[in-house]
Amino acid sequence: MTLFFLVGVSVTTLFAQELRFSIPLPLTGSNAAFGEIEKNSYGIATEEINAKGGIKGQKVVLEFEDSQGKPEVSRSIAEKLIDVKKQPVIFGEYSSSCSKAVAALAEERKVPYLVVTGATDDITQQNYKYVFRMNPTNAYYASGMLSFFKEVVKPTSIAILYESSDFGTSGAEDMVKQAEKFPMKLLVKEKYEKGAVDFKPILSKVKAAGPDVIYMVSYVMDASLLMKQIKELRIDAKLYAGGAAGFAIPEFIQNAKDAAEYAVTATLWSPQVAYPGAKEYAEKYKTLYKNYPSYHGAEAYSALYIMKDVLTRAKSMTPDGIREAMKATNMMTAFGPIKFDDKEGYTNQNFMDTLVMQVINGQHETIWPQKYASKKYLFPIPRWRDRK
Amino acid sequence: MAVQIELFLQTLIAGILLGGLYALIGIGMTLIMGVMKIINLAHGELMMVAMYIAFWLFTLLHIDPYLSVFVAAPALFFLGVALQKFLINPVLRVESILPENQVILTVGIGMVLANLATIFFTSNYRSTPVDYATKAFYLTDFWKDAPIELSLSMAWSLSFLIAVAITIALWFFLSKTDMGKSIRATAQDLDAALLMGVNVRMMRVVTFGIGCALVGAAGCLFLPIYYLFPALGGQFTLIAFVITILGGLGSTNGAIIGGVILGIFESMTATYLGMGWAPVGRFLIFVAALIFLPGGVASLLRSKKLGK
Repeated sequence: MTLFFLVGVSVTTLFAQELRFSIPLPLTGSNAAFGEIEKNSYGIATEEINAKGGIKGQKVVLEFEDSQGKPEVSRSIAEKLIDVKKQPVIFGEYSSSCSKAVAALAEERKVPYLVVTGATDDITQQNYKYVFRMNPTNAYYASGMLSFFKEVVKPTSIAILYESSDFGTSGAEDMVKQAEKFPMKLLVKEKYEKGAVDFKPILSKVKAAGPDVIYMVSYVMDASLLMKQIKELRIDAKLYAGGAAGFAIPEFIQNAKDAAEYAVTATLWSPQVAYPGAKEYAEKYKTLYKNYPSYHGAEAYSALYIMKDVLTRAKSMTPDGIREAMKATNMMTAFGPIKFDDKEGYTNQNFMDTLVMQVINGQHETIWPQKYASKKYLFPIPRWRDRK
Repeated sequence: MAVQIELFLQTLIAGILLGGLYALIGIGMTLIMGVMKIINLAHGELMMVAMYIAFWLFTLLHIDPYLSVFVAAPALFFLGVALQKFLINPVLRVESILPENQVILTVGIGMVLANLATIFFTSNYRSTPVDYATKAFYLTDFWKDAPIELSLSMAWSLSFLIAVAITIALWFFLSKTDMGKSIRATAQDLDAALLMGVNVRMMRVVTFGIGCALVGAAGCLFLPIYYLFPALGGQFTLIAFVITILGGLGSTNGAIIGGVILGIFESMTATYLGMGWAPVGRFLIFVAALIFLPGGVASLLRSKKLGK
């Protein structure tokens, strides 16, 4: 970060004006791992954009505000940005709960807000005119996963475990609906409170029910605790599937170690995907921060490019001018195609394909849809007792 | 049928393992309660401090969290002694409007510890990915044709066994050594102990230290199977409080049984009612203990002439 700052300072002299944005992100707290990835990615995008002349000849300068993953803090940060700093457009935040809080405020004050990662469905279902979302909603997170189910796994029953947060609950509810349509028999559906120590009782119940698929919607620490305890109990399902978030970041494999092997997860993006700029961004991130970024990073990285595109097209730098330009967005980013549509009950929502990743040899590999696959999926997966 | 039996037994195993660890957390609070007549509401935060010690030893020096017990428990002992000497004892002597102001002081200590941890270590979640974290023993490994499969996690069993060993050592200390007897005397009757020449003030300091050391050890045992963040204390203070009430205020035997009961009860609720119900179960048992068994498990033990 300091290095990036130094580069930033030396470039200052070239630009006549600065374009300052503050971004609310969880930099501490339980979601800090995600905040960190996003912050790094915004940094990479800023550097690239400034190296190519900034936005409309102005140098982009980003500041980050720590929301600690708490909606109330997030909201007060957004209030400060709108009322004190008079920022004409807001983007950022990680979790659904925080994005929701900022979205409500943005609509109230009539300032456009670009949701970058918050996935709970109702953020763009409330007919908000000023709220745009670039990432697919929870209901679509699993669309790639479901086609994988249909064509490869062919499950007849499912167990769903989820954290009792906005993200967990909406992810689980959507999977219940999908299971009905599929059809899969819903054998167990259990929620747990964040901070639970021992999942073995509930997992024993899952084991007794014997589902084909165990689908879990969790943040990072719970995701690894769940997989570790599944291994301990030797629950042999056909597939262990995660609903993105905690299952899709490198920390999951670091914490769960060998228990993470073969687990699949829904994801919106992967470093191997064939969108223009995706690979370059992923490699750049890896050289700077040692790991490949998760989809959250690609979202943040692309968010700044969307802002560049929107602000360049905007007739005026007022909230309404920017909103109009935002509505007309139709572009390709490293994260995928971005276009804000009103359909299926959503307003200003971007729709796109989602992917499936599997942990193979301690690495996340894209396995589905096959046109994006970096490795052939491993299925059926070995039973626990046959693993070494 | 076999499936149901397996489910029940596996839940029972989980409950007993969890209960053993809960007991160790509860004993520390109960001991302090017995001698000082105050509830130490900074209990969970002290556990958090010990967990950070073990976490940093693991991260920087690659010392196994189980070995850290030997560092964290003494460190917590001295922290406890210091807290008692310089913060709690002075407050005990002051006449005040609220007779419970030492309890309020412990709440304050807890808050300061949690916030210091947030400032120094940020509120990020941490964990110690040990190699044996997912190793387990299986019934079918020992008995090939077993009709049911039961598993016993290595990390959990190790934590449980160490907790039991510490508890036995504590029992030995309290019942066989001079100092242990003096502590029990202070707990039973302060004035009589004073007349018999027991250094009551010293006993209070030592007891607070031992209580903290116990919860510190519990923290090290929790680290390999759980994770760590600064706000984790409150949850465990509550658990210790429930166990202390359930076990009968001040009774170590009661706390052991109380801890195991709570562990089993929580696991059973999770299996048969749903995991979201576990916290509700915890408070049900708490309220039920207050209403139907005000003296806790200790009063049952006493009436059966089992306890001391």
